[in-house]
Formats: sequence, structure tokens, C-alpha cells
Amino acid sequence: MKKIILFILFFISPFYIIFAPDNARSEELKPGEYQVKAAFLYNFLKFIEWPEGPVKTADAVTLCILGEDPFGRDIDIIRGKAVRDRVLSVRNIGSVQEAGECRILFISPSERKNIAHILEKARGSGVVTIGDTEGFAQQGVIINFFLENDRVRFEINIEAAKKADLQISSKLLKLARIVENTGPTITGTGR
Amino acid sequence: MGLIFFLLFCNLFLSITKADAGDTLPGPPSDLTKLSLEELMEMRVETVYGASKYEQKLTEAPSSVSIVTSDEIKKYGYRSFAEVLRSIRGFQTTNDRNYSYLNVRGFGLPGDYNSRILLLIDGHRINDNIYNAAALGREFPLEIDLIDRIEVVRGPGSSLYGSNAFFAVINVITRRGRDLKGVEVSGEAGSFSSYKGRLSYGNTFDNGPEMLFSGSYYDSKGNRRLFYSEFDDPSTNNGIAEDLDYERYGNLFGEMTFQDFTLQGNYNYRKKGVPTASYETLFNNSRFFTVDEQFWADLKYAHTYPEHLNVLARVNYNYYKYYGDYPLEGDPAAGEPEVLINKDYTRGEWFDSELQFVKSFADRNKVILGAYLQYDPKQVQRNFYINSGRDGFRDKRNSHNWALYTQGEIEMAHNLVLNAGLRYDHYKTFGGTINPRAALIYSPFDMTAFKLVYGRAFRAPNVYELYYHDGSNTQKPGLDLEPEVINTYEAIYEQYLGENYRATVTGFFYRIDDLIALQTDSSDGLLVFRNVDEVEAKGMEFELGGEWKCGTEGRVSYTFQETENRQTGDVLPNSAKHLAKLNVVLPLIKDKLFLGLEEQYTSRRRNVSGDFTGGFFITNLTFFSRDLTEGLELSASVYNVFDKKYVDPASETHRQGNIEQDGATGRVKATYKF
Repeated sequence: MKKIILFILFFISPFYIIFAPDNARSEELKPGEYQVKAAFLYNFLKFIEWPEGPVKTADAVTLCILGEDPFGRDIDIIRGKAVRDRVLSVRNIGSVQEAGECRILFISPSERKNIAHILEKARGSGVVTIGDTEGFAQQGVIINFFLENDRVRFEINIEAAKKADLQISSKLLKLARIVENTGPTITGTGR
Repeated sequence: MGLIFFLLFCNLFLSITKADAGDTLPGPPSDLTKLSLEELMEMRVETVYGASKYEQKLTEAPSSVSIVTSDEIKKYGYRSFAEVLRSIRGFQTTNDRNYSYLNVRGFGLPGDYNSRILLLIDGHRINDNIYNAAALGREFPLEIDLIDRIEVVRGPGSSLYGSNAFFAVINVITRRGRDLKGVEVSGEAGSFSSYKGRLSYGNTFDNGPEMLFSGSYYDSKGNRRLFYSEFDDPSTNNGIAEDLDYERYGNLFGEMTFQDFTLQGNYNYRKKGVPTASYETLFNNSRFFTVDEQFWADLKYAHTYPEHLNVLARVNYNYYKYYGDYPLEGDPAAGEPEVLINKDYTRGEWFDSELQFVKSFADRNKVILGAYLQYDPKQVQRNFYINSGRDGFRDKRNSHNWALYTQGEIEMAHNLVLNAGLRYDHYKTFGGTINPRAALIYSPFDMTAFKLVYGRAFRAPNVYELYYHDGSNTQKPGLDLEPEVINTYEAIYEQYLGENYRATVTGFFYRIDDLIALQTDSSDGLLVFRNVDEVEAKGMEFELGGEWKCGTEGRVSYTFQETENRQTGDVLPNSAKHLAKLNVVLPLIKDKLFLGLEEQYTSRRRNVSGDFTGGFFITNLTFFSRDLTEGLELSASVYNVFDKKYVDPASETHRQGNIEQDGATGRVKATYKF
């Protein structure tokens, strides 16, 4: 009898796992890497102060994703959410020239080769550049995600934030790894 | 019967949450955005380090990888490292009531010392420098509660890690100060009067430093009456070994991180009583024990330089000591005591250092360059008798080995990555060896990866095999041994199904040449280690895993493997053709109370005398609760619930062909964090 039970247990368990109720699919315990990153982006908005102008789009904060979009549907969890009485809108853009109205510019890993050019164009426009690629922060991207012990972490290039005239709250800085520009003229910040 | 009920129960549970979800959560989950930054930083996404020496996603690793987290260790109530390994696809452990041994891909000869597995703790090589053994039972040199996660990288790893990375590399990542943020006290009690206590403190400070200190102690009387029919005679206590299965260990661990530097120290002591009268010792004699001690201090520097350059440098000092008393029948006529104590003793000290550069280029291309140096100032082996004129054995060596390695990850075409590496190792004893690995990884879709892997690995002969002898009474040293070599071919298919499931199918073939085995030299009748055996094996593995937000998680796997000794045509001893594992965690109260269910099947195995042991199922159950009051974790476990009588094949040094394992046992554990 015991053997039969054990056999059934082994036999049905794969099917059980496959045919478990459908809704469970969207409710996985470990959220996708990019779902977590999307939630981070949303959180960042609360801790960053933009300068007055030149960006003046009423009622909306625009997040632009430049290049191959790694988020896919994961970005939907923050699309249309309210931030400080304004609505977060998300746009995919193909080149940095279209970034005019973006408050947040997420630079996809696919843009690695163009990073210097993108930063050049984005400079001084009060846009928060966010990367997801090792080394981006050192090259001047303001916030850059990385993975550590399976967890999403982020680093901040304070110099770059200052240049963009952004105020980053100390709470955000405390949680971040502080990095420096690779340029020879910059000396130690933080740590 | 109850088991089926549990499964139905979770179905039921899921259906209930389904109804709830339908009412309150239209569309995709939105709660992530309600989490704070701190909470988000604690969320895990799946990555692996050990396969390539840098963090990468599982599907990008040039191997088939399994990961066990501290969360699973708690929810399944694992008491030792061997119990964790036993739950992993294709892995099987055996125990001879002295040490635990790991069997991977059908290979785990009784009497071998886990020297074909490389054990790393935070990337630092732990295998000792006498037997090159990975200690995996309670002799495992780290407190199990300090494990953050375990990465098991299957297949040959010598192209990155050198010797012993033959069948698998197991990298254990320890918890860090930030994972504790305060004091943790833990106590547990289990069957056979087993008790364990632990006190840990960890924290991370605003200006950067991070630290963790921990001490623990375990004491068990073990099974106080063990019966061995081979000794069932009035002269040997009717086969009953009394109070000889005891075990004690103590562990001290400390780690400090400041900026790019991490200093880690660990000390472990374990003493085990041996009830089996192996090595022709006297039966039921309380003098028979073994002790293993291991210490290390490791300093690591890791820094990310501009231009995507990661540098890792480490240097460490390691100490390993083993000793044991083996009570033998003395010869009073020759002036010896009636119980003659034979003392076996080894001590190893070694330094190793490593320097490694990882440079990333555009896209996914990456290159690793590394250099490794190990220096062994002391490799001491001794064997002698107390109060006897018999000859002893004493051997003192020093040696060194060094290596250079490189690995590259090149995106050859869209979705197609070549991961190829090569390592040259040079040993004082036998010279040089080159070991390559190449993997083609094709991901036509985000959720799909196909991998083709070829790898070659080696195991250097250890000083025990090279130099041990007993004054050439029965055994002489195997001085001219060459390394063992394995060539492995693997095909791996990994598929994510929806967002909750992950399926893996692998097929492997390997061939081992020059396997080192104890032989009798026909010219003088002495035992000697020689490179003689050839082994071939092939197998398939299937695994399906899933996780749901309701807290249910699980995996089920099946392994089919066939091994063959090419000389004899026989299947290898202790090699099970079929392994199946089922692990399920069911939430009984959401986020608070969980039931962990584990089911393991091992098919029959041949023992060294050619008989077959029976196949068996083992069922383990654990109730685990967290935060019923804040900071408190409680668990209660029953292992081998149905009290199944099963045996593991024993090595030739035992009179018993098989060693019976424990029946139903239990444990309760409480951990409080403040």
C-alpha cells in the first residue's frame, strides 16, 4: 500500500506542478529580475529632486527605455502609477535624440557601444540616466543596477548626478554603492 | 495516505487564493511597487557564481547548476551538509557511521574520500592536502546555519578550478553581516540525545565595515545500541555495539569586510565514535574514534576597476588534522597490552593564493585570466602502536603546485554564445596537465537554453596514495602515480515555462582513464595504488521545479545512470541506476507556517562483495514557522517517517557488506533573532 502511495506521489507530482491553478503563474514567489528593477525605478522617483526646467511636461513623468527593451511586460507594474500627483508614463525610444521629454532614461545593455555618445547627448538636460550594465556608472551613468548574491543592487555616480543638477536623497545614497568616474581628474567621493 | 492529502490540500489552498486573487488583484501583481527600497534589495533573483567564477544567470552558465538556499535548508530541516546534497538531482550520499560520502553521476566507490568533488567556501578551496577530500557530513567544516546558499555546478570544472573538480564543483556562500543585523541564538534537540547550540552576531555599519561572528557546538550520543550480525557471537557482545555512535563538533567562524577586503577565519573540530569495528579493530571497543580538525584564514580583495575590469586576489593559510585510535587485539606474549592501540595521524598545512582578472567587453563577451599557487609546507602521515615493538610509519612531505587559466565568453552570433576555457596545472610530483572545457550555449528565446558541453578534468594523486605504506608489510607506496583523467560530454536543455516553472533535461557521457585503485602487485604480493581502472558511464536527468507566491515551491527529478568498469564489465559498487527526488514546501499559514516534504528514492546498489542492497524510499517531513512572534523561527522535523530499514554499501575495510542507517528520527529547533 505504501509503495502504491509513493508511486502515485511521484507520478502525479509533475502533473500537479504543471497543472496547478492558472492564476498561480502570475504570482510566483521569486519575482522576475526586471519586475524588481521596475519597482526600483518607481521607488527612485521618490528620492530624486529635479531642477526647475528645462523639462516641463505637466502631469506626467516620462520614463524612456532606450534600445532593446529588457523589461517587456514587467514594466506594466509601474506604468500609469502616480508619483507625487503626477502620472508615470513609459515610452520606448530608438535613439537618444527622442529623449527630449524624458525625466528618466533607462539605457538598455544593447546600447553599450554607444554609451559615450548617449551620455554626451543627455548631459545637462536634467535627465536621470539609469543603466543595467557593468561599468556604466563609471562611464557617467547616474544610477546603475547590478546583481549581488542574487539580489538587485544599484550604484550611483555622484559626480554625474551633480553635473545633471539632480538632488539625490541621502537615503538613496546610503543604500547605493558609490562609484567614481573613470576620468583622471575626479578624486574620491564617498566611502 | 497523509501525503496525498497534503498535495490535495495545497491544491485546495491554491484554489482558495485563486478566488481571493480574482476578487482583489486584477491584472499582473502590483504589490512590488508597494515595497520599500530596503525590501526590494532583499528580493532574490536567480544567478550563479561558481560555474564561471563570476555571477551570471543560470541559463548562461556553461553547466547544469542547482542552487539550494538557506530558506530551503530551514524549510526542509536539514541537519547536515550531506542531507542538503542528498536532496539534489542526481546526488546520493552514503554513510558508514564514521564519514559521509557523496555519489555523483553513479560514481562513489565505497572507501573513496570525496576527492573527486571540489568543495569551495566563498570561492576558497577546502579539500585538504592529504586525502584531497571534501568533508561533507557533520565533519563539513562550516556550521550549516551560516550557509546563505549552495551552488552545485555539475560536470568537469578543472578548466577553472584544477584538481578534484572531476564530477562537480560545490560552492558554498556564507551569510554576511547584513543578513543578520544583530544577534541570533539557536538551539536544537533531536533523537539519540542530540543537542546543538549556536550564537551568532552580524552587522553592517554605515561607513562600510561589515562583520559576522559565530560559534556553535553539537553533541550527540548517537544510536546507543547497534546490532551487526557479522559479529553475532558471545565473544563479541552478540554483535551489539554499545554507546559507540557518539559525535561532537564545535565551530568558530568570523568574517570582516572593509571596503574591498574580506578576512575570513574558520575553525572546526569533530570527533566521531566508530561502532562498526572497521579496519579489523576489536568489536564494541570504546577506544575507536576519529577526529578531524580544520582551520583557515583567508584574505580576499575584490575590486571593480574602470573599463569593466574585475580583480580578485586572495591568499590563505589552511590547516587540517586528522587522528584516530584503532583498538586492535594485542599479543600479551610479546609484551603487548591486550588491547593494542594503533594511532593513525595526518596533518596538513598549506597556503594558497590566487589572482584573477575578469574583463568584460561589448555585449556579452568576457575574458578571465587567472593564476593560482599552492604551497604545502607540511603533509605529515603517521601510523604507530602504543606499547608495542611493531613498526610504525612516518612520512613527511612538502610540495607545491601552480596553475594558469583562462576562459572566454564570446557571442558568436545572435543568441549563440561560446564559453571556452583552459587551465594548465603543474605539480611537483607528476608534472603538467592541461584541461579544457568548451560550451556552446544557444538561447533562441528568453526562456530557453540549449547547451553542449565538453570538458576534461583531472585528479592529482594525493600524498596518501603516493606515499602511504605500512613498512611494506602489506602495502607499499605508489610512487609513480599519474593523475586520473575524465572526459565528459553533456547536452543540457533548460526551459522556463511561464513564470513559475523551470525544466531541465540533461544527458551525459563520461569516461575515466587511469583511475587510481588499490591493487596487489603479483611480483611481491604487496598492496599498492596504481593507475589501472577505466570507467564509462552514461545517464539522463530530468527535473521540474516551480515556485508560487502563495509560498508553495517544489521540485521533482529523476536520474537514470549506468556505470561500467571497463576491465570487469561490472556496474560500479554503490552505483544506483535510478534516483528520484521530490521536494515540496506547502504554506499552511501564509508566510508563517510551512510544511516541507521530501521524498527520495534510490534503487538497488551493488556492494563490494557483489551482492545487491535493496532499493528504498525515504520520506522526511518538517514543519517550519517564522515570525509567529517577531524574530522567532521554530521547526519540528521527522526524518525517515516510515522508519524504513535501509543500508548503504560499506568499503572493503568493513567486515559488514552493508551498514544499516538510522530509522525514524526527529528534531526540534528554535532560532531567535534580535
